[in-house]
Amino acid sequence: MSVQVYIPTPFRRATSNRDRVSLEAPDVKGLLDGLEAQFAGLKGLVRNEQGQVHHHVNIYVNSEAIEALKGLDTTLKDGDEVSIIPALAGGQAGRLAGGACRGE
Amino acid sequence: MKDSRVALTPEEFVRVEAQAAAEYPGECCGVVLARGDRPADRLLLPCRNIQNELHQKDPARHPRDARTAYYIDPRDLLTIGRREAEGYRVATIYHSHIDTGAYFSETDKRNAQVNGEPAYPDAVYVVVSVLAGRPAAASAFAWDPAGRDFLPIEGPVPSVAR
Repeated sequence: MSVQVYIPTPFRRATSNRDRVSLEAPDVKGLLDGLEAQFAGLKGLVRNEQGQVHHHVNIYVNSEAIEALKGLDTTLKDGDEVSIIPALAGGQAGRLAGGACRGE
Repeated sequence: MKDSRVALTPEEFVRVEAQAAAEYPGECCGVVLARGDRPADRLLLPCRNIQNELHQKDPARHPRDARTAYYIDPRDLLTIGRREAEGYRVATIYHSHIDTGAYFSETDKRNAQVNGEPAYPDAVYVVVSVLAGRPAAASAFAWDPAGRDFLPIEGPVPSVAR
């Protein structure tokens, strides 16, 4: 059972510049375990030490965010495409919605 | 810093300014994808800023709203990824600043890096200042590997004539 994983530009340093990786895994958690075993540099980039996906990283199975499925327990089937996408964000210095100063 | 990359063509700049004005008082955001060279096949993708939704949903985690921050809709990032699979690369990432200058803030710098390395090392970042609803200035920035910082670059953004 093979799943295609899309690796975006920000994470390619950790995958020897590969933008696509083919893996076999029963679910998203298993897929991340497999990816991190194959590319040690991915450790800490996608998940924290507790194994939870960082808030600024989004994972999609085909075109569906895993939050709308079963999270890390989302099962995978042959031919699925998984995308791991870090946030692209920013903003001006200082001001918050309420007027106080703090970095987001 | 001198740089030969095209951040925005004049036509793209007009579109970005229009988007920035239309989305005021929220920050706008988007990317330009490019494929090939001389001339590159370019594709401007305006993106959706979901910062207000994040702020409303979880103000503790997202204390800013869209007046002071942008967060590109992950679905737009998925589209960008699909375009990358077609041979496009992220050439330019742009956003607007509301009622302040066209500088690259510490927030911008921090969020443009992953573990201290630039997320898109070859991309040019463009910031458009929108004052009272009207685009007033624009600046471009790029990663300087020697200085390990994002620095202003000269030339590639058409000046805003008002």
